[in-house]
Amino acid sequence: SAAARRPWRLFGAMCLLRLPRITQPLEKEEEEVAALMEQIELERSLYSDHEMRKLEEEEQLKKKMESLYDEDEARGKTVIMAQDLEEKWEQKFLRFKAAPRITDADKSNDRTSLNRKLDSNLMLLVKQKIGNQELWLLPQVEWQPGETLRSTAERAMATFLGDHIQAKVLGNAPYGIYKYKFPKAIRTENNVGAKVFFFKAFLQSSDLSQAQLKADYLWVTKKELGDYLQSEYLKKVNRFLLD
Amino acid sequence: DALLASHRSYRSRPTHGIGRFKYLLPKEVPKRRKEKVQMKEISAGTEYQYGDLNIQMTSHDLCLVEHFAQYVHRLCNRLSIRVNESYAMPTKTNEVLFLEERGSKMQLDAVLTTHQRVVQIRGLSSTFAPILLEVIQSSQPEGVHLLMKQHTEADFKSRLKARPELEELLAEMS
Repeated sequence: SAAARRPWRLFGAMCLLRLPRITQPLEKEEEEVAALMEQIELERSLYSDHEMRKLEEEEQLKKKMESLYDEDEARGKTVIMAQDLEEKWEQKFLRFKAAPRITDADKSNDRTSLNRKLDSNLMLLVKQKIGNQELWLLPQVEWQPGETLRSTAERAMATFLGDHIQAKVLGNAPYGIYKYKFPKAIRTENNVGAKVFFFKAFLQSSDLSQAQLKADYLWVTKKELGDYLQSEYLKKVNRFLLD
Repeated sequence: DALLASHRSYRSRPTHGIGRFKYLLPKEVPKRRKEKVQMKEISAGTEYQYGDLNIQMTSHDLCLVEHFAQYVHRLCNRLSIRVNESYAMPTKTNEVLFLEERGSKMQLDAVLTTHQRVVQIRGLSSTFAPILLEVIQSSQPEGVHLLMKQHTEADFKSRLKARPELEELLAEMS
């Protein structure tokens, strides 16, 4: 009996997360402990094959210098010495350049790019019109009878980002719910308020080359959510966000 | 007399069998060498529970992978998820050869070892599974690949060693 149910309108919202790509920097104590453990390990460790070879060859060289005669020149001497190998490896290492941890987008604080904070979760926020207000929200779309809430959330994502998004929704259960009543002016018998169900999805690939339908979108971290969301909404959203 | 062993109590002595105790212990079943195949349980409905799940962690760095496996195991203990087994697959060694073709052909070798650890879980409810996955995903260290799949017989069989002699004999027989 659908008529006897409460007159709430249902929305499905999708919280699209981009997982961090780099580990977060260590705390001061963690760094100290890590350095200490490394030192202990180094002092306790034994020589590896390469190091033994290097030591032996150094001794042979010394002997060669001191005593100017060599009994067996090609006794066991290989073409390549361990020292040469090490120098080669050092040069290779110096030539290698790691990608920068703080990218350009970080420096310019460009909140629409995905290359920003690489060590924390980024969430998609979209500007939507609700009633007569333009608000920053997680993308949401109204629920049509006959479809699951999860597909509503996926549809919300598709409307804002295009069809071919490689996002993975993990389960069928929603993560949170936010309900609010409409202001008395709009309230009717069948339309007391709305309930928004939140779902989470993880971005698999960071390649968003498809055109965005709505121009106002942002990728924000959990701390920056407070700049954009309303307080009640923010409270409910913060409940299911890990940091 | 040397012929008579004077310390042995023979059957007419009242103290015969004074030190016997093995008849008091519970009977030991002789250990079977063949292991039984696992059980799977899927119950559909509102309480949807996964059967046996395997969380496989692969990496080149041994310490990282082991510590991560320990972390996952302890996390499941704390969240009272039953962990069936936590085992390691044999390590695979890869030799990387660089063929430099400038002038003389040099071959520089590098030896890479790939380690894999598996944590087997049972009784994960479907409402909790995405949360657990998210926690594990967000605490993944660098360089560790994570794979979560359902446990199958093929996975179980991959741990066992093939027996060529047995197979030969079987082939000869049939």
